[in-house]
Amino acid sequence: MAVHPAPYDLLKSIIDLSTSSMPIEAKLDGMLQGISRFLGSDRCLLVKPDEIGESGFLAHVSKERKPLWVNKESPLRGEQVLIEEQGLLCPTFACLPLYDDSILLGVLYIGFSEDRTFSSQEADLLLLIAKEMQWVIRSERAWGHAKRTKQLSTLWELSKALLTTVNFERIVEMTLTAITIGDGLGFNRAMIFLVNEKDRVLEGTMAVGPDDAEEAGRIWSSLSRKKETLLELITRLSPRSTSTLNSIVKGLRIPLEQEACILSRTVLEGRSFNIQLPQFEVGVESGSNRSSRTDSYREGWLQTRCEKGCHLGSEVGCYVGEHLGRDPRAYSFATVPLWGKGKVIGVILVDNLYNQNPITEEDIHFLSMFSNQAGLAIENALLYRNLEEVHQELKETQNLLIHREKMAAIGELCNSVAHEIKNPLVAIGGFARRLYREIPDGTPEKRYTQTIMIEVARLERILDDLFRYTRDESMAGQDCDLRDILEETLSMVSEKFDDRKVVVVKEFAQDLPKVHGDYQQLKQAFFNMIHNAYQAMDGEGRLSVRIRPLSKNGSSFVRVELEDTGKGIDPENLHNIFNPFYSTKESGLGLGLPIVHKIVLSHRGQIEVDNHPGEGVNFIITFPARPDATSVRGNGQARKQGRMAVSEKDQGEVPEKSLRSKTDEEDYDR
Amino acid sequence: MKRIMIVDDEENIRLLYKEELEEEGFVVELAKNGHEALEKLPLFRPDLITLDIKMPGMDGIETLKRIRETERDLPVVMCSAYGEYKQDFTTWASDAYVVKCADLTELKNTIRRLLGL
Repeated sequence: MAVHPAPYDLLKSIIDLSTSSMPIEAKLDGMLQGISRFLGSDRCLLVKPDEIGESGFLAHVSKERKPLWVNKESPLRGEQVLIEEQGLLCPTFACLPLYDDSILLGVLYIGFSEDRTFSSQEADLLLLIAKEMQWVIRSERAWGHAKRTKQLSTLWELSKALLTTVNFERIVEMTLTAITIGDGLGFNRAMIFLVNEKDRVLEGTMAVGPDDAEEAGRIWSSLSRKKETLLELITRLSPRSTSTLNSIVKGLRIPLEQEACILSRTVLEGRSFNIQLPQFEVGVESGSNRSSRTDSYREGWLQTRCEKGCHLGSEVGCYVGEHLGRDPRAYSFATVPLWGKGKVIGVILVDNLYNQNPITEEDIHFLSMFSNQAGLAIENALLYRNLEEVHQELKETQNLLIHREKMAAIGELCNSVAHEIKNPLVAIGGFARRLYREIPDGTPEKRYTQTIMIEVARLERILDDLFRYTRDESMAGQDCDLRDILEETLSMVSEKFDDRKVVVVKEFAQDLPKVHGDYQQLKQAFFNMIHNAYQAMDGEGRLSVRIRPLSKNGSSFVRVELEDTGKGIDPENLHNIFNPFYSTKESGLGLGLPIVHKIVLSHRGQIEVDNHPGEGVNFIITFPARPDATSVRGNGQARKQGRMAVSEKDQGEVPEKSLRSKTDEEDYDR
Repeated sequence: MKRIMIVDDEENIRLLYKEELEEEGFVVELAKNGHEALEKLPLFRPDLITLDIKMPGMDGIETLKRIRETERDLPVVMCSAYGEYKQDFTTWASDAYVVKCADLTELKNTIRRLLGL
């Protein structure tokens, strides 16, 4: 004989169950078990409204809204019995309808395999329990309704927040904030990976979440103290972008085509995954689900494991798992796809690393709803950002085009003016020379004509410079020995300054590769520089000319240094020396160094200035050396023809870049 | 006495060259464009010709081409305001290229060299 518990104990256990925080199924299950134990019934169950047919005795009970007690003494009185109800026809049974106002909540059925009667105490007790069950179901319904309403209003608030901006970073930030803050979706951490279609990879975009449990606690407590609406909170909060998590995630690139990685699968299959570990389920599932607890994974859940035991799968995934959880083997997380218009644009990964709350299917459902909104917002922001970038690029290109056109127009103007002036100038100068020869020495007229000659010569020089600078000169390509060019230039310049005391020190390397370029242009460049050096030294000083081969990054170069002991360049002017029309000299148009710069650049060379105001300047020019003639066969033909025109269009408008300080020089020596 | 033909569209330049070269002892004939030069060529029979490049009507390069059709060995000196045609292969058919300058030394030296004087 089973020991029947006292009615008081039963009632107490029933009330305990109804006020517990267990899921409703577990509560009702527990109550039914309690009734069974108390009455020693053989069957005790709750028939749900959708299991009750149109007619039959259960329908009758439901309609009458009165309990039905059946035994030998009071059998069914003509109530119809449906086929599916046959199994409920025990010798003794009771049916108690549960109602919430007019809505049927179910029927409580208690059946015995032998005939017996219900004592009035038992009947009262059952009515009482039925009432309690009624209450449990009703409040669950109400709560479910409230929860859904709350979810919807949360979703509404979050979506509204996403509409406040089109800034990509902000949208992603707000999405992640919404997922992580308690009033939103309440996950501990959230990460977004976006699909890079071109490279077929998932790129970590942003992550939000505390780096450790302490920080998590701090953030949660600080948030709960403030009273703000969700919308205010999300639009105000800006997650710490310096977090370790964020920097880890931002560095991740996961190839899309790997079946084993859950992040990839989320994108490829377009569905969510909830990866949960056994130990997290303990104590959470209960009652009727008890049996499933022993299974490692629920049916349909992902079971891919890589060697390291990381549930993200794949090598890259392991890397993710290792960094995201403290122990990849004890890491539960969920992923949902981010849907744009008709395609998956990324993945959201969430976990509860710190409070270890289980991620329920309901959580995932809610997250999916939100991520649909977020996906569209993110896609829009991306499109907007692309549009902005393209627009910016277009604007820059347009500005560049306008600038170039302007430069070209100026160049053309200069060119035609230079042409128009040259002929009259030649005539003026030429006849002045004729006069000069006729006029006897010592007369003022002799000096006047000499002045005309000198000034005309100066004008001619300026015109030549202007012409050379504004013209896109085509380059004659030949193999040049820079030593020859420098020798020739040095003698040209020293002729002009022959009565001055300038010492020229030449340090020319014995073995020197040739430089491919235009002999005349190179001569022009060196002429301008040496001429400048002579002028800077004002007739007295030392000019050192050094040429040597140079090897850098596996390529060979020829390095030329022209060092004078002149005044140096005023540091204020240093950045302008390669700009056209910027002259500190009293004569000249300021095109000397700009021409040098242009020529050096068009020879793919580099020019540096080592400036010591008051002591002198060292110009260092580096040209790429000509590769061995034997290794370049195609050139033999070009040389046979004598010349090869190479048109180099190098704008060279940012001469500042070529300016380097003395310390940079060491780079070359390495 | 060597005979030189000067072709230039600028009147003052023609005058300057004529006086300077006559002083050097040359017989000088002038032409103000390519057409005139080609007309005068068979009559004057120069030993050398200087050709300005930029001229209205027939320019120096075109004139050079026409001259070379009949006179393969006549020395031709191309003259221009700047060195812009030095790289232009059409001027390579000439014997020398001189950039115009108030100082005529270079031109005179070139002429003497080409005439073997």
